[in-house]
Amino acid sequence: MLLGIDVGGTHTDAVLLDLGGIVASRKVRTDHANLLNSIAAVLAGILTSVDPAQVRRLNLSTTLSTNAIVEGQSEPVGVIVSCGPGIDPEYYRVGEHYFLAGGAVDHRGAVLENLSEAALDAALAACRADGVKVFAAVGKFSTRNPDHEDAILEKVHPLADFVTSGHALSGQLGFSRRINTAYFNSSVWRLFNRFADAVQRCAASNGLRCPINILKADGGTMPLTVSRSQPVESILSGPAASVMGIIAICNIDCDSVILDIGGTTTDIAVFADGAPLISREGISISGKPTLVRALKTRSIGIGGDSAITVQGGLVTAGPRRYGPCMADGGERPTLIDAFNVQNIIAYGDTMASYSGISELAMESGLDPETLADYAIAYAANRIREETALLIREINEKPVYTIFELLEGKLVRPAKVYVMGGPARAFATVLREAFSQSVLVPDNHAVANAAGAALARTTVDVELFADTQKGRMFIPGLRVERAVPGSYSLDQARAEAVDNLRDYLGAIETEDPDLPVDVLEESVFNMVEDGRLAGRNIRVKCQVKPGVVEAYKRGIRCQC
Amino acid sequence: MLKGKRKLGVVFFPAYDWAISSTHPERQERLLYTQDQLLEEGLFDIPGVTEYKPELASSLDVDRVHFCFPDVESVTTQSHFVSAGGAIRAAKLVMEREADRAFALIRPPGHHAMKAVHGSRGFCNINIEAVMIEWVREHYGRKRVAIVDTDCHHGDGTQDIYWHDPDTLFISLHQDGRTLYPGTGFPMEAGGPRALGRTINVPLPPGTSDEGFLHVIDNLVLPILDDFRPDLIVNSAGQDNHFSDPITNMNFSARGYAILSERLGPHIAVLEGGYAIQGALPYVNLGIALALAGLDYSHLREPGFDPDKYRQSAKITEYIEEITPQIADFYFDPPKTPKTGRFEGDTYVRDKEIHYDTDNIHEDQTETLHLCGDCPGLLIIESRSTVNPPCLGVEIPATACPACHAKGLEAFEQAQIKSKYRYIQLINRKDKDYQRFLI
Repeated sequence: MLLGIDVGGTHTDAVLLDLGGIVASRKVRTDHANLLNSIAAVLAGILTSVDPAQVRRLNLSTTLSTNAIVEGQSEPVGVIVSCGPGIDPEYYRVGEHYFLAGGAVDHRGAVLENLSEAALDAALAACRADGVKVFAAVGKFSTRNPDHEDAILEKVHPLADFVTSGHALSGQLGFSRRINTAYFNSSVWRLFNRFADAVQRCAASNGLRCPINILKADGGTMPLTVSRSQPVESILSGPAASVMGIIAICNIDCDSVILDIGGTTTDIAVFADGAPLISREGISISGKPTLVRALKTRSIGIGGDSAITVQGGLVTAGPRRYGPCMADGGERPTLIDAFNVQNIIAYGDTMASYSGISELAMESGLDPETLADYAIAYAANRIREETALLIREINEKPVYTIFELLEGKLVRPAKVYVMGGPARAFATVLREAFSQSVLVPDNHAVANAAGAALARTTVDVELFADTQKGRMFIPGLRVERAVPGSYSLDQARAEAVDNLRDYLGAIETEDPDLPVDVLEESVFNMVEDGRLAGRNIRVKCQVKPGVVEAYKRGIRCQC
Repeated sequence: MLKGKRKLGVVFFPAYDWAISSTHPERQERLLYTQDQLLEEGLFDIPGVTEYKPELASSLDVDRVHFCFPDVESVTTQSHFVSAGGAIRAAKLVMEREADRAFALIRPPGHHAMKAVHGSRGFCNINIEAVMIEWVREHYGRKRVAIVDTDCHHGDGTQDIYWHDPDTLFISLHQDGRTLYPGTGFPMEAGGPRALGRTINVPLPPGTSDEGFLHVIDNLVLPILDDFRPDLIVNSAGQDNHFSDPITNMNFSARGYAILSERLGPHIAVLEGGYAIQGALPYVNLGIALALAGLDYSHLREPGFDPDKYRQSAKITEYIEEITPQIADFYFDPPKTPKTGRFEGDTYVRDKEIHYDTDNIHEDQTETLHLCGDCPGLLIIESRSTVNPPCLGVEIPATACPACHAKGLEAFEQAQIKSKYRYIQLINRKDKDYQRFLI
């Protein structure tokens, strides 16, 4: 049996699955002050009817790191940056303890300028004086040559409880993203590790002896042990849980759009090429872009509790949510109330909905049914427009070869899957707004927890080889070795895949035979003075997000 | 936080699967390090800076500009349609006000491609900027356009295409033609009889550094632009004036390029040459992008840059200060007649011998402009080359008078009957009609 827990903004859901389907599920209100209480509550509840020894693993999607970052309750971090020429690194200042340590590395990893020992010493002295205990060591182009990050790490080590090295988090380029990612990682490190300890104790006290995995924003998981040094990877995993849930529940076999409609927002995701699309750039948090991989989603302020506004005769809904709908005792009419008035649903106190909408209608000279109709139509159109924009953005993404430009595949969704609390209510109007067929899966109420339970491990690595320099480097895995001048793309590809597999073995993932995809590969002849000087080889491969196949049959529904 | 003063659209297309040959300067690797640098710097994470992909230009877009013999397909590859399409995309961003400035970081380049095309010269087959500008004029009306070419090589192709066009100002800053390919671009080359002073050439001595380039920008280019009042300023942003460029001899720096871009303020910059692909391009391209977006580039410095080491000599400074006002006069007080070409009756004729170094083709050409008091006049090009028998090109301008319009159609028709030419092409801008006739 597989156990999934999704700690969401409002509810914490747990689902227990076996090959035959859902064995048990639990839902409690999320206790924001103490997420562990919520987890303990659903765990205890769901394990009453089964033997905990039967549970093969626990996957957990948690908002812990997200909340700590967004609410600024994280720990001060000493950020020490080796910058080099380009955009002034002062613009990337983050936190109260940000220091420039000189040094420059170029795009091929050549050291142009050494670190400034004096600047490093001064940074350390300042951090020591301020009692800073966790650090981030970040260099420009450290994914090409980590020497400066390593030197910073060595220097701060005696002072530090924990140091994040920028190149260890991702092989992708993006200096300011690397700074932000390393900063956030260190800032939540202590909090996350305490939480991880508590989760492990809680699981053990409930009789669980299985591995624990943490959900990531890319729809995959990482073992709890890995998450202890990369807690930033756990941010914003909520939407991913829902998307993975729908993929588990429905047999998605064509390009599709997935709409997860909640109280405040609608998250739009896209499924293509047999998997949910992953954003090429990392996700942003607190307005800062990071290198954390995430599903390509677009979030808009339309949800069941979006407040309805009339201004200058124009009826709109969202993006604000002032509270629950009037049917739930709220003070202002929302889209749910409009659905009640239109008799699309009969939710809660329908009379309250009717009187709320009537009052608003009276003020604006409309009759209640028309107002409700306009508000719903507005919401459906917004969702349709934003979906179209997302698809356009995906299809307009830059490409860099003539072949891709001429032959590149376009995403053309044929189906729209709707999930979330108000999914059924919205689906009726979305059917009119979309030309594609609009489907509402049966088990959508627990899809998020099911998605968490069934999500598999994901890993991605980038290999970078420069045969002129005779080096091969896989930043994320910290693999580095000398290579001969004859080192080829075939060898690089094989080596990237082998290293990724070794890593999967080392972290003891439950499914070590996951398919590895080569996402991008390129080889460039480097020419100097009209002669071939070497080859510049890049390989990017991944284990893409997916769900445990064997369990899909049990929870599959008609959709 | 970083935020640009202006919205910048960057059309980045490195054509990683295209090269002239595997060790040629125009090879797959050319923009690899530039892309690395832009990604590492996070250029596209800056609010207001957006990356776009090229459109694909069509043969029609090329036919509007060039006489391609025997036809467009024979003298181009897909890469040229993508490159021109990239420039068109950049122009569209500006024209549709999706961006305030646009940078087409594309290859292959185009500024050595002339009006008639038999093959590739100076790594160029079709003139990317001209295809873009004429696309703009076809879709948005007859705009006044200024092209400022800051590639180290004289933009002889662009000069040839706009030689007779008074609505297009072409200013080229380049290393003196006596010391570098293509060996042209002297001040007396100032445009045809209908467009005298609309072509301005500023040959600079080898060793010119930031100081010299910026002196010419401040004291020649900007005053001329102020007077010309273009609707659109296009920068042919070649980057081979850089001190580390392997095939030229100038001392320009990445910061110098950024300052130049800021002062010039082009609506659209289009990459041309520049082959110091590791030591210069990543930094120069970043500098141009930052300057176009109105972002701080003060921290930009390429490896090995030492202002003292690369400062131009006092002699060069003196020389540039001396020639600048003289060259400015070619715009403000142009000569009464062109220094090249000849008048035959009511026509102006230029005989040209054109060498296509990249494809090793030789072309003999006679260009005839029918002088007309009512319109820019009918243009006829007779051409033959080592790869093509005699060919004819007839261009009727968009603002042609009825007489020139009729004369142009007649010339196209007569050529088909007389079979003196093997390939005949009509560019009829007035009716937006582009035809080709093969005998």
